[in-house]
Amino acid sequence: MFVTGRIFALGMLVAIWIFILVGMEMAKKAIPTFRKLAGLDALPEMVGRAAETGKPVHFTTGLGELNTMMASQLIAGLSVLSYVSELCAKAGVRIIYTVYQSQVMPIATELMKAAYTIAGKPEEFDADDQVRYMSGEQFAYATAVQGLAERERPAANIMIGPFYAESMLFAETFYRIGSIQLAGTARGYQIPFFAVVCDYLLIAEEIYAAGAYLSKDPILAGSIRGQDVGKLLALVMMIVGIILTALGSSALINLLKM
Amino acid sequence: MGKESKTIWDRLEDIPREVLYGILIITFIMPMLFPIGFPVPITPEVKRWYDTIDKLPNGSVIMMDFGYSGGGEPVLGPMAVAVYHHIFKRGGIKVVVMSTSIEGTLLFDKVMAEVNPAGYGKKYGVDYIHIGYIAGTESAMAAVGKSIRATTTTDYKGTPLDQYPIMQGVNEAKDFDLLICYTTGGDQSEGWVRQWYTTYQTPYLCCVLAMMVPTMLPYQKAGQIVSLTSGEQAGQMELLVHVPGRGIKSADVITMTHLLCIALVVVGNVAYFGKKFSGGKK
Amino acid sequence: MSMVFKRNIPIVLVFVTALLFIMEYFVTIPGIDFKSAVTTVNNWGIILTAFTLGFGAVNLFILHTRHISRRTKGQWPFSLWMLIVIVLFTVVGVSTGATSGQYTWLYSSSYFALSATVYSSLGFYMTSGIYRALRAKNVESGLLLIVGIIALAKNAPAVASGLPIIVPWEAWISAVPTTSAQRGIMIGAALGALALGIRTMIGRETGFLGKMTEAEKGG
Repeated sequence: MFVTGRIFALGMLVAIWIFILVGMEMAKKAIPTFRKLAGLDALPEMVGRAAETGKPVHFTTGLGELNTMMASQLIAGLSVLSYVSELCAKAGVRIIYTVYQSQVMPIATELMKAAYTIAGKPEEFDADDQVRYMSGEQFAYATAVQGLAERERPAANIMIGPFYAESMLFAETFYRIGSIQLAGTARGYQIPFFAVVCDYLLIAEEIYAAGAYLSKDPILAGSIRGQDVGKLLALVMMIVGIILTALGSSALINLLKM
Repeated sequence: MGKESKTIWDRLEDIPREVLYGILIITFIMPMLFPIGFPVPITPEVKRWYDTIDKLPNGSVIMMDFGYSGGGEPVLGPMAVAVYHHIFKRGGIKVVVMSTSIEGTLLFDKVMAEVNPAGYGKKYGVDYIHIGYIAGTESAMAAVGKSIRATTTTDYKGTPLDQYPIMQGVNEAKDFDLLICYTTGGDQSEGWVRQWYTTYQTPYLCCVLAMMVPTMLPYQKAGQIVSLTSGEQAGQMELLVHVPGRGIKSADVITMTHLLCIALVVVGNVAYFGKKFSGGKK
Repeated sequence: MSMVFKRNIPIVLVFVTALLFIMEYFVTIPGIDFKSAVTTVNNWGIILTAFTLGFGAVNLFILHTRHISRRTKGQWPFSLWMLIVIVLFTVVGVSTGATSGQYTWLYSSSYFALSATVYSSLGFYMTSGIYRALRAKNVESGLLLIVGIIALAKNAPAVASGLPIIVPWEAWISAVPTTSAQRGIMIGAALGALALGIRTMIGRETGFLGKMTEAEKGG
């Protein structure tokens, strides 16, 4: 019934699901609080700065593709795009979303249009101008975004999603033109580059919590609590594993191989 | 009120980008035109890579993934060339190449043009072969691991695989003795760990960009990768196989540019502290 | 009705597809071929991508012909050039095939060379980034400075040869704090993705569908 070698992983998956679902249920009774994420709290400030300077906001979800492992980071980025679009619509700021994978265009168009409608300004949304497909090739996309930065000179640059080598290209270019920057990625390779250049940073799992954090939905916040219990479980297993291995036992290793 | 004049600390703390890039370009070009011949020590990871291939028994088969794009060619190409020189010189080893990058077949041709297998008496289809670009990254790796012929029936030129002697008895991950991956993308380097090492325990040699090494290190420390190197170490591999090429030529450039970066960092910090202690604005 | 199409159907599709992929990975049930179903869904994804490529191309044409017709300052010559290149690649690719010598030459002499060039420009950006960022303004940045210099020195072959003491230092930095931090990031990111996946599957995470307007809420 179960694929050999993946039974323990399935057990862990189910356990973490249970933690998350229980966390969401418990949040209905008592709203959990979690630490401040400076980057996300700064979003209204970034949009406000764009409004004052009369310049647009640039948003990118990097090389996010819907049909790869990076889809989860892309979804996380789109959640933030929805929030930022509404902020921009209310403030009268033009937001430009540059697209890498053409599949994402209709999704982004719909969610930005909804954001403008909620802000009461549906007529101000121009899909052809504000949702721009650049290219499906990494460096063609990177240079297109750099060109956009030089021409449009956005006041704020928000980058949330999976980024590859172009991360430093974006960060430095937008830094040079004076944009305030928020970056977030779960790709460990690029976090150091963003950390060094950007004003605000979301590291790894913080981008996945962004949707819950920005929506202020207590039930979504409860899911983050459940995820943290999963982390605690991983920590306990690590400590038990260290002790068992030091004692010469391979019980935990054999369990993990099940 | 007139404009405050910039002190030496202000100027050193904020060197214009144009000056920085100008100095960098000169630092790149000079060692290429006038090689200095800095020593190039062999690091343990490159030596381990070399020994792993050297100790393969005759008749071994290597799966090699050209998983990098054109942008990564100047970095990873020299390493791929040096490793091929090693494999062909060593003899008795066959190589089946695939690409998880769409540009992989072009890059393979480029590497082969540089290696010149005919000089070693090696023939395409007998000693080495390229089974083509296979889309899907991890699903491609999983599919090839289960059955090459279920994934693709031809090589990258369109010729049926069964027409090539090298493919006799070679169809799944268990038929391979070693896996080598060159990539600029973490999806490939990590994917092979999950799809081949974890499932089949195939020994795995991985060559990535230098900036990817810290993130890939946990896999090496956990024993899932035998040797993790960066393309910048190609010069060391060339020294080991006694075939100098683009890698060793770049070694002087790498040293000089790293020294320049250290010098700029020191200058920046000296300026920062100089300004601070001379009572300037922070 | 709008709610059904915009919310409920996508959520159901996400749930069913995710469950299928999970079952295929963990479970084997005699008589049920999960693998074929997953392959079929993957193929649908590929076909959808191919169709939306056309959508992207149309968007490019609309945007850039707009720039050309308005003679947007500093933009329109590049827009014109881009459209010419798109047409050239399309004509050559369709008429001679994507694996033909002509298309390969066009691709390798333009995009291939350009992408290597752009990738190489990263070195410049990194240098200016390092110069600006590695300043000992406080304890943390001082530590970053020290570690950065050790890493730079070790990766310069001649420096590592002349100052062998930094090699074990850098090895320890890589093996202990760096590896530990990367493992922590990996575990955290994996759990975060898992939680996002569950929220998406059960329809709680709908940020990617956009917020509901008043009309959709029925209010």
